[in-house]
Amino acid sequence: MTEYAIDIVNVTKRYAEHTAVRDLTLRVPTGSVYGLLGPNGAGKTTTIRMILNIIAPDQGAIHIFGRSSNDPKVTQRMGYLPEERGLYRKMQVRRVLKFLAELKGVSGADADRRIDEWLERLSLKTAEKDWGLAKIDELSRGMQQKVQFIGTLLHDPDLVILDEPFSGLDPINAQALKDTVVELKRRGKTVIFSTHLMDNAERLCDSVCIIARGEKVLDGTVTDVKEEHGQRNIALALDGDGMSGVAAILRDNSLVKRADDSNRFFEIEMTPGADPQQLLKRIIESGASIQRFEMIQPSLHQIFLQKVGATGIEEGMSGHG
Amino acid sequence: MAKLWAIIKREYLERVRSKWFLIATFFGPIFFSAIIIVPAWLASRSKATSDVYNTTILDATGTNFGHRLAVNIAGDSTNTAKMPTVRVVAPAELTKAESVAVHEVMRKEHTGYIVVNQQTLAGESARYAGTNATSIADMAQIKNAIRDAILASRLEQVGLDNRRMKEITFIPLDFSTERITERGRAGSGMASVLFGFAIGFLLYMSIVIYGQTIMSGVLEEKTTRVAEVVMSSVPTDTLLAGKVLGVGAVGLTQQIIWIATTYILLKLRAPIMAKLGAPTVNFSLPDISMMAGILFLLFFLLGFIFYSSLYAAVGSSVNSESEARQAASPLMIMIVSTGVFIQPVLLNPTGTTAKVLSMVPISSPIIMPIRMAVTGVPPLELAGSLIFLAIGCLAALWLASRIYRVGLLMYGKRPTMREMARWVSYAR
Repeated sequence: MTEYAIDIVNVTKRYAEHTAVRDLTLRVPTGSVYGLLGPNGAGKTTTIRMILNIIAPDQGAIHIFGRSSNDPKVTQRMGYLPEERGLYRKMQVRRVLKFLAELKGVSGADADRRIDEWLERLSLKTAEKDWGLAKIDELSRGMQQKVQFIGTLLHDPDLVILDEPFSGLDPINAQALKDTVVELKRRGKTVIFSTHLMDNAERLCDSVCIIARGEKVLDGTVTDVKEEHGQRNIALALDGDGMSGVAAILRDNSLVKRADDSNRFFEIEMTPGADPQQLLKRIIESGASIQRFEMIQPSLHQIFLQKVGATGIEEGMSGHG
Repeated sequence: MAKLWAIIKREYLERVRSKWFLIATFFGPIFFSAIIIVPAWLASRSKATSDVYNTTILDATGTNFGHRLAVNIAGDSTNTAKMPTVRVVAPAELTKAESVAVHEVMRKEHTGYIVVNQQTLAGESARYAGTNATSIADMAQIKNAIRDAILASRLEQVGLDNRRMKEITFIPLDFSTERITERGRAGSGMASVLFGFAIGFLLYMSIVIYGQTIMSGVLEEKTTRVAEVVMSSVPTDTLLAGKVLGVGAVGLTQQIIWIATTYILLKLRAPIMAKLGAPTVNFSLPDISMMAGILFLLFFLLGFIFYSSLYAAVGSSVNSESEARQAASPLMIMIVSTGVFIQPVLLNPTGTTAKVLSMVPISSPIIMPIRMAVTGVPPLELAGSLIFLAIGCLAALWLASRIYRVGLLMYGKRPTMREMARWVSYAR
């Protein structure tokens, strides 16, 4: 198995008025859940379209599972859910799904079997009602979204690409999507999605890449990103006794760089390279009664704001993603 | 190839299954046979309307001329139901009698009245006034009846008896017309003009309807973002080709059904006309060779590819139906201005206008088949027309595919012509 599901090297995409993506390099490890984060107009959709070979980069190279992204064998292994969603309104659900399956090389009885499985799994086909025989525009919006998930996953892709998957989802479908992502990962599939909702990214992603104005701001595993950009702070709250012992520990520069003393509450900035577990051990040994000992990491949201800022959105670029 | 097939299949089956297709396919033959049967029926009606029988003859000749005229109009002395009323009036009373007759016409008791007097006997003048004075057929009928009556009274004066007179003046002339082309006799002139018109109209309508079908199809895929899903699976050129071929196949299916059923309906024309109570007009169906049939379909296909690829490009560049209608107006102008020339070309199929229009790809898919229907077109002109049209198709496809692949991914405001020109230069 190739190490990287997606390997983008020095990719640039220019349009007449602007550069949508500038010298972007990113690698998505096989089997991971990867978040592409950025404000509107940052180049997320352009990047995704280049991965899908819908548009070609002006410069640079994109490899999917070690193959060039325009290799037809590769397109069969990808599943894509675009940002704003819809389907052929006047078409029967089953026929839409069968059409999408055929485009991915799944046809005939195999496609029918998979469609049945999925419809039943997402309760679109029950004993009372088979929505597969209905037309798309007879379905509720939530059901249409389900049909679209099915269309994305019907051919059992190894790489699933979701563009802003959570926008417009009702809470039930949002949960279903999260469950699906988790399950895909468990089955060894790679999932990459773009979002500007940092909460979802923080909870779901193994790795993230933040892009703004077409350029990469940072990337890495969520843990690494937080460690690099968090101040490795510790929130400490004590209960009455043993204050003096603790005060001595906090003066140890090998452990603590700086401590913000608010009588019973301390916010401690660790010395680079120091182990918070060591600090905790020392405090316990000092006999202090600990109410709270917590490593506080800034959320992705805070890192994002700090790195991209409010000026991350370039004017007039929204709509080109 | 399997993917191209999947796209063609979807386009074809979804449209053929639609109610709209069934309705259009069913009404098409009725419409086209009506185009051919109704004029023939009207032509048969125009031979003699019953209006001419319901007239008054004001006879101021002082002879039995009025009665003779009435018999002539009725066509038979025993058929009193068809015979106009005759009123013998003194020349001095004529003004008063006319005034009475006018009021009778105004009360709709009669259609009109005929005034015959000494000048009529002399072959100089006669008058008619009535509600149907503008009907050319009715007036011709009355005029002929008067002429015959004058001739009859003159012949009587020189001593011919009634029976002999009838023998001499009875001329049941059936005047049929037939067209001659370079290939020889080609059936009735009227029939081939109607046929040419039907062909032109069929092609014209098909191109407009299916062009717009493609346009809204592309627009739907763009606005629902299905296009992006499809484009992530197949190259855009495949998608465009699949659409054009799929919808083209729908058009071809419909035309073949139309042509076949219209042909059958026209074969059954005589019984239908008999049911309508109209005498069968003597015209034969134009003689269409297999080769000509294939050429018609070829022109349809090429014309369809030319226009539908441009319609697809328009559909991909806009974001709503109303924008699409606006953006498609140059195409509409191209087609409608061709439609305007259908009649002039029918009237003069070998003129310079017809020749030029049948070479330009914008108009040739409609004009050339019309010319082929009504006249013999030299093979060299046919070949030239097809070659230019094929080149036009390639150019349209090239242009369309470049606009299409960029346009499908561009949302927001409608592009200007300058922006679209720049899209053409984009790599991908």
